[in-house]
Amino acid sequence: MYFLLLRVKSARTLSALFTLFASGAVVLTAQTPSRITLKGTVLTDSVGEPAAMATVMLLHPTDSTLLAFTRCDERGAFVFRNVRNAVYLLKVSYVGYLPYQQRLLPAESESTDLGMLVLKPIQRALMEVVVRTAKAPLYIRGDTIEYDATTFKVPPGSTVEDLLRRLPGIEVDDAGNIRAQGREVRRIYVNGKTFFGSDPKLATKNLGAETIAKVQVFDEKSEAARLMGVEDGKQERAMNLELKEEYKKGAFGKATLAGGTDDRWASRGSYNRFDEHHQFSLIGYGNNINETGVNWEDYSEFKGQNTFQDLSGEDFGFGGMLYGTYFSTAESGLLNFFDGRGFTRNGGGGINYNFDNKKTKANASYIYNQTHLDLDEFARRDNFLSTGVFSNTDTMHLDEFRGNHRLDGRMERNFDSLNVLIVKGSLSLSHSEKQEGRQQRFFDSDAPFSLINRISTENSAKQQAWTLSSSAVFRHRFRKPGRAFALSTGYSQQVVEQRERFFSQNQLFMPTERLEQFRTRNLNNANSWRLKSSALYSEPLSQHWFWQTFANARYSDNATNRQVRAPDQGDLRVDSLSVFYNFTEQFYRLGSSLRYVVEGFNASVGLAKQQLALNGRFAQDRNLPPLAPPIRRSFNDFIPYAAVELEPMEDLYFDLEYTYVVTPPSFSNLQPVPVFSNPAFQHIGNPELGPERAHHLQFSAYYWDDASFASMGFQLSADGYESQITFNQRVERSDSLGILTITRPENVTGGHRVSSYSWGNVPIVKNRLSLSFNGDASRRLAPAFVNDVRNDTDDRYWHLSTSLSLTLGSKFIFSASGSLGFNNVTYSIRSDLNQRIRDHSANASIKWEFLAKTFLESNFNYRLFRNPAFDFRQEVPIINVSVRRLFGPKNRMEVRLAAFDLLNRRLAVNQRGTQNFVTTSISPTLARYFMLSMSYNFRGQADKVTKNDGGIIIY
Amino acid sequence: MDTQTAKKTLNNPRHWSRHLLSTVLMLWLALHHTATAQVAEGEVRYLVTHNWVKKLAALDYISAREREKVAYMWGNRAEWKAYMRLYFSPQRSRYEESDEQAEAEMVGYAGRREPLLFYRDFEQARLFDVVKAQGRTYFIEDSLQCPQWKVLNDVKEVAGYVCMNASWEDPIKGHRIEVWFALDLPTPAGPEDLCGLPGLILEANYNDGAMVIAADQINLRSLGDALNLPKIKAKGKRVSWEEYRELQRKYIAEQRKAENAWFWGIRY
Repeated sequence: MYFLLLRVKSARTLSALFTLFASGAVVLTAQTPSRITLKGTVLTDSVGEPAAMATVMLLHPTDSTLLAFTRCDERGAFVFRNVRNAVYLLKVSYVGYLPYQQRLLPAESESTDLGMLVLKPIQRALMEVVVRTAKAPLYIRGDTIEYDATTFKVPPGSTVEDLLRRLPGIEVDDAGNIRAQGREVRRIYVNGKTFFGSDPKLATKNLGAETIAKVQVFDEKSEAARLMGVEDGKQERAMNLELKEEYKKGAFGKATLAGGTDDRWASRGSYNRFDEHHQFSLIGYGNNINETGVNWEDYSEFKGQNTFQDLSGEDFGFGGMLYGTYFSTAESGLLNFFDGRGFTRNGGGGINYNFDNKKTKANASYIYNQTHLDLDEFARRDNFLSTGVFSNTDTMHLDEFRGNHRLDGRMERNFDSLNVLIVKGSLSLSHSEKQEGRQQRFFDSDAPFSLINRISTENSAKQQAWTLSSSAVFRHRFRKPGRAFALSTGYSQQVVEQRERFFSQNQLFMPTERLEQFRTRNLNNANSWRLKSSALYSEPLSQHWFWQTFANARYSDNATNRQVRAPDQGDLRVDSLSVFYNFTEQFYRLGSSLRYVVEGFNASVGLAKQQLALNGRFAQDRNLPPLAPPIRRSFNDFIPYAAVELEPMEDLYFDLEYTYVVTPPSFSNLQPVPVFSNPAFQHIGNPELGPERAHHLQFSAYYWDDASFASMGFQLSADGYESQITFNQRVERSDSLGILTITRPENVTGGHRVSSYSWGNVPIVKNRLSLSFNGDASRRLAPAFVNDVRNDTDDRYWHLSTSLSLTLGSKFIFSASGSLGFNNVTYSIRSDLNQRIRDHSANASIKWEFLAKTFLESNFNYRLFRNPAFDFRQEVPIINVSVRRLFGPKNRMEVRLAAFDLLNRRLAVNQRGTQNFVTTSISPTLARYFMLSMSYNFRGQADKVTKNDGGIIIY
Repeated sequence: MDTQTAKKTLNNPRHWSRHLLSTVLMLWLALHHTATAQVAEGEVRYLVTHNWVKKLAALDYISAREREKVAYMWGNRAEWKAYMRLYFSPQRSRYEESDEQAEAEMVGYAGRREPLLFYRDFEQARLFDVVKAQGRTYFIEDSLQCPQWKVLNDVKEVAGYVCMNASWEDPIKGHRIEVWFALDLPTPAGPEDLCGLPGLILEANYNDGAMVIAADQINLRSLGDALNLPKIKAKGKRVSWEEYRELQRKYIAEQRKAENAWFWGIRY
């Protein structure tokens, strides 16, 4: 005999005992022993078969807390020695039998023999079918046994009767009479209540099997006994059907309407419905306040489970099968993206449906978005030549409309745990129209104020395009962990039709005054398609070594027809500007890599052979003979690869990757006929152009400190070019044009590009004060030839910003930040013209719940743009203020009054220095306005200030 | 909460039973070998399924709005699986990370493992744990602590063994844990820090599926040295069990105040 006793000092045990004393239910006399021995024998039937090794437990009588346990010996006998004399719940459990329970009162003698305890067997069918086969739990409530009916599969549309036929121990005859464990079921309850009178068949024939969660079978007093209140000792078999809890389902939505001064308005709304397997959503927006789409929160609610997608990669390579979770960019056209210039009117909307059960994830969506842009821009451009400098001013007005329909579908099917198929497709139809007017004045900067010429252009274009893209990825895993195979294929096509009208007027002042006019009407057609396929196989060689090999094949075809006609000359074709070209590209790559993996260290080396073949032909028009012999180019390369992922300690990660990159030239850069919308700036392709070749290195480091929540990261990307595609220039003075610039892509040796980014976040006072910083630095050394003289442009950029954020409870957040930006550009041919471009800013913001449910949000931003080389200095101070208040149950209503750009100073400024020129441009954009908005959010708005809702919300 | 009250909570025998009567236990153990026919020594591989959306849903201090939103966006892709291994006998148990990778996509990658050990000596009524919390490794050495189980009635099979269920609520982490223990494997051992039932705990379900630890392979065999206290290379701070509980309590209270999920910083 043996037992185990857990010592208990339970206050509740004592209080329970105290209750027992006080109530007088049990009166312990002075003779009552404080410690006793309890013993008994457990039998599996009345004949006397012992329940050897049965578990016997003493539980707390009110809450079933385990106080002591022991096991029976071979004869079924058990004993608890020296246990406290108290009220217990004795429980015996034994495989295949109903748990036996008995309430024990405090004993009067030191040794209590409980005698024979006889266990009742659990129906064999229940044990075999429910527990062993269906792996479903049996829920035992006294003599009632329940089990989970959902583990028994019946075809959709089945009734409860069909389900019952499947259940062990239950028989249903042709008439629908039910017998459970051999006895007729007299009564059926649904959720414990009688269902449609007393005919049990009514429930079983009418209820759908999919609504049932549990089936319970039990015996109850006969109806006579229940009605008469007289115990007749008869038991009737009854059944209760527990219905499933309502599927988790619901709906939510929100709507906002806003109106402001200067006819500013905005609106948006969304509606979502969901249940266990489906999500359905609608979204719409419209405004004239430069929001070209919705914010991230609305977008992610619209996309729901499909905002991020798994396992979408299809171009396998050294990186393997491209696992991971990706942001689905499919409908990112719905997301707000505005570059800060001009005035826009926007509208759009969409409908999204997600389906998801364990095996299949499916998504379908349609979106439409449109933007009408009204832009004025004033720019100055300075061009450096080895022989001199010339500059031009550029005043532009652009009126542009873009509209885009997009249909997307995706399905991920998990056939079993080893096989997955992902199929994706999207179709988009876009329409755009634009009218652009420009006036450019050209000056000889070495002879100040000498106007060379003035060019005015009026261009218009209408474009219609559709794009199809589709892909399928199949992945198979073998039973051996790490052995896997994947196959992918993809097809995409784009068809573009564009009509353009160009008009330019060139007023020349030097050397003699003259006027040149140029007018064309262009029809551009392009049809391109691409078919590709990839395969990958990976094999574990040992616990630490893995080998993988992959193959990629791609075929692209691009046919472009550009027909230029001169309306002033009888609408004849302009042969020098018209071209039809057809290029095909074939790409094959076969590669293999070896990977070594040990705790915290993962390294790969690999090599691939790739072949790229370009074929092309040109003619003046689609059906005309070729202008030149066809181009046949082929490039063969070995591509080495190496990568190390290192985790020297927990929460510190380093990644280093090297590869050699060969990027084929774009087709438009290969065709030899000039393209321009302004005769002073012409672009001409180069049929001899080769691919760009570079050694590419990437490094990243990341650290996270669990204790302080401090984190920091660093990223570096570097390219050393063996051959870089650069746009070399030929700049000429021409009597008929003034200054003519012709750019042509050519391969140039040398040059490099390095860029780095770092960030960090350090809490100073936990949850209250935190400091964050980020900085980036980059350098690009780009050689380019201008009039056959090599110029190396060295472009260096640094940016550092830091911010401090103070949070006081849920009512107040203050943050201040500053940022410095330096861009130094030096030119090897004219060091006297080196540029020092500056862009600095300072920002302060406050979010304050100053009254219950009433919030003040304000920010001040000061930005300074400078370039001493041109005495350029522009300050842009912006102040935004908003007050909002929440109303109604669950704070569903919000009213907001916002003042945007109180000082009326907003402007878009861009400064850029590259190659041999520097441009500075300024565009007016939306400045001061006031707006009143009303929002309704079904889920309610958060009654607190939050750090992460990103800046000020205008409506 | 001051330290005094905190200690009271920790000592509250409603939640943990402290100081097993080791003499009684030893008697049980001594008799065990002669009395039992079953072998209750071997190893278990547990498949642990983490569901971070359900973990978040179990935090009452995160706004319902936020929890709903996370469930709406991530509900169907919130799971993460890992294997753990338990070596057990009626006298001792040792629980640690398995070498096997449960996420098929992660085969071929090996990250740095954090030090982890739950070692129980039922004979001596001692525990020895190595756990990483808030970026720091702790060595916890103390007398044996097992939850105060409520034993329920239901029957289920786990990995070929018929089990009964019991439940416990962790007062510090707020977990509702339902476990299934095997009637035929007489050892008080279990996964993580769970122990003290009449049979081996084969399944533990935290907060309705936020974390489910389920045995998927059980191999009964004589273990020999595998049950000895392993050597741990990591450096860490030595604390008592109560000190460690207090540390967790403080951290969770801090995170509650900041309305951050606490389970990224300490073991669930």
